[in-house]
Amino acid sequence: MAACVLVLATLTGLGQTAPRKSLQPAAVSNPHKASQQTPAVLSSAPAPIQINRIVILLDPAHGGLDTGSRISDATVEKDVTLSLAFKLRSLLSARGFAVVMTRDADSPTEPSAAGSPLTLDDRAGIANHAHAAACLLLHATGSGNGVHLYHSDLAAAPGELPVEPWLTAQAAWVPQSQRLEAQLAAALTRAGIALVTSSASVRPVDSLTCPALVFELAPHGDDPDSINDANYQQRIAQSIADALVFWRNQVQAPIQLSSTVSLPTTTTGQVKRPETQP
Amino acid sequence: MIQRHQRIVFWCLIACIVGMGILLAVERQRGRDRIQALGDATPLDAPTAMTEAVTMDLANDTDGAITANSRQIALPREANSRARALIDHLIAEYALPGSPHPLPSGSAVAEVFLLPLPAMGHAVDTSAAANSSGGFKATVPVASADPNALQPKEPGGELAVIDLRSTFVNQHPSGVEVESLTLLSILGTLHANLPQIEQVRFLVDGQARETLAGHADLLRTYPVRDTVSNPNGGQLNP
Repeated sequence: MAACVLVLATLTGLGQTAPRKSLQPAAVSNPHKASQQTPAVLSSAPAPIQINRIVILLDPAHGGLDTGSRISDATVEKDVTLSLAFKLRSLLSARGFAVVMTRDADSPTEPSAAGSPLTLDDRAGIANHAHAAACLLLHATGSGNGVHLYHSDLAAAPGELPVEPWLTAQAAWVPQSQRLEAQLAAALTRAGIALVTSSASVRPVDSLTCPALVFELAPHGDDPDSINDANYQQRIAQSIADALVFWRNQVQAPIQLSSTVSLPTTTTGQVKRPETQP
Repeated sequence: MIQRHQRIVFWCLIACIVGMGILLAVERQRGRDRIQALGDATPLDAPTAMTEAVTMDLANDTDGAITANSRQIALPREANSRARALIDHLIAEYALPGSPHPLPSGSAVAEVFLLPLPAMGHAVDTSAAANSSGGFKATVPVASADPNALQPKEPGGELAVIDLRSTFVNQHPSGVEVESLTLLSILGTLHANLPQIEQVRFLVDGQARETLAGHADLLRTYPVRDTVSNPNGGQLNP
């Protein structure tokens, strides 16, 4: 009988495939429409940009059904990002920061609608309302080594418009994001962490109105499970927290562009910004 | 005299043998289907020229760098097929054992469409009355007020719409770095060999998809550019 049970278990077990990531459909239609409806000539009065210098936004990516990348047989991305976020939160709180997290459990706790998980646009909304001095989107991967830091792939804009297109709201903040990236990179290099810095287009970073970075944690050796090493994560979190202490005195909001500036628009109706090299 | 429990064990073992046989047959068929899906043999246009030197921007996961490498390959003359063949050669390079940016083997691209820029849309003509038969309304170019709107602003500039296969995308490794490097590698290779391509959009099996494997944005239009970076990962040409 035991053999029968064994065979039945084998049949049912082997028939399954590895769970794949299930991405929740993000609310992309409205932002697209919003960007298409952005007027080229804006007439509303600009509101001053405020930054809460003691607020840091942490976004542990994925969560719930969206497990993120499978780092090893026993490790998925959503758990690593949450673990790193907790370490960062405690270190930042000890340094006097107020930390806003988009989720502090496996599933996001504040769905946009009853029963629905947080979308990427929901996360961007939380970040933009916090007016944080820095927004860190935490990811993890099994490939590469050390830490991968990315700022938005958008071309830097000279300033912020009174009404920003949702999909390019980060453009005015790209110079600040690059400075933040340089600060974190210097701190991580001092700590002996292998580092890759570049630009990338990872939603929702392009929609954030704060100095924003995509922070991807990779293993520190050939073993993918080394990404779970508590000492390794703590060393990285310590470096980031120390760098952010200096950063809060340096962060500056982008200048406000005149409300009557007329910018050319693309064929899709989006405001076409001047191409400036970072 | 065979005891009852021995008979039960005997029939259980028989059931196990039969069950294992069925399992083997099912898994064998599943494996064959998987191999057939990967080995898509949709023919490209036959090369009409000898091998030529092309530049491939190859990625390395270890340091996040992209380096330009020269390869001698035969390519079709027609631009669409040429773009598709370039990307397929690029992905085939990554599928080789020991690749610094390992990707699944098999055909990655279903089709590449080259469209003259600027790409124009059409909208329902609200001023036109619905016809009597089906209630359909005519469509007009979005920028119909401008008679030159449909002409490329920069002659020769094209938008490449790359239709990726879901068999490739579903097996692509997940991660910000690895996905970004794949896209940058494709953009850089197209830029180096087909300079008339100015922008790239990605589809998966003909449909828009949010991300490549959970991270890199596939909904936006990417400007084609030189993506070669220095060995430290910082891009020289962002």
